[in-house]
Amino acid sequence: MTLDPRRAPRSGGDPDLPDVLAAQRDRAAFGVIYRRYLDRVYGYCFHLLGDHHDAEDVTERTFVAALAALDGFRDTGATFRSWLFRIAHNQLANALRARSRHQEDHLDAVAEPVEASDPAGIVGTADETRRLRAALRHLSEDRRQVIVLRFVDGLTAREIGLVLERSEGAVRVLQHRALRELAEHLEP
Amino acid sequence: MSKPSSTAERLDRAIDDVLDGASPSRAAATARLEPADRPLLRAAGALHGGLAIPLVSPRFEARLGARLSGIGSAPWILRHPGRLIVTGAVGSAVGVGVTAYAVWRNSRRSAPHRALGR
Repeated sequence: MTLDPRRAPRSGGDPDLPDVLAAQRDRAAFGVIYRRYLDRVYGYCFHLLGDHHDAEDVTERTFVAALAALDGFRDTGATFRSWLFRIAHNQLANALRARSRHQEDHLDAVAEPVEASDPAGIVGTADETRRLRAALRHLSEDRRQVIVLRFVDGLTAREIGLVLERSEGAVRVLQHRALRELAEHLEP
Repeated sequence: MSKPSSTAERLDRAIDDVLDGASPSRAAATARLEPADRPLLRAAGALHGGLAIPLVSPRFEARLGARLSGIGSAPWILRHPGRLIVTGAVGSAVGVGVTAYAVWRNSRRSAPHRALGR
């Protein structure tokens, strides 16, 4: 079965669960999950870190940690992808802490990524992406996390709450404020 | 009686619709957003259309896949094996070319020395 990880499981149930259970029985089945979420986890890391190498590093740490902890995942209401992005979030927090210790800011020196979902319709997208990413940089880190998880990775407010350890309502309020701030930057 | 939904909740529902492909104006109307909040949904539409996922490099994908399959002790099928084959073939061809050039250059350098040594 082909799943689009960007489409949120709105009607309950975790679409990844059969593959996760298979991977818990046989690690070779983890390849399905890896292939499904590699781009998503990498995209999350890239949009938050703004650097391809750092994003690869955090993505690698995330998948290694996820594979090591896979047996600990239980179907208790949280979706697998919220569990996976929680691991990514923790790895990301470590990377951001390490970066702030080094007082580096890579965001201004980033090459624009090649857009995966729009290989043919390149016209105008590079400028638009640059404009959006510039606007994103004005957001506080928690608001940026919400926007990236929602619009790049397609998580629901509930799932984002599980990733960030916030209530669903708090995520919606963060999302509302982030969009208001972004709208001010995008619609002068 | 159910509690009336907040603006943040209505906006979230409208964003669900935008992520499912609805236009921001239609989603705003369906969610009964106030006119003052409609620019927020236009921003949401722009984010959905413009904030795409960057491509993962095939080399990184292969390296991490190999590392993980080492942990799991099982081979995996990569998403883009063709790219890897091409990358490997190009890498090998470049390697062969560089070696051939080095041998040729070395032989050209040493030829006059040999001539002088005679």
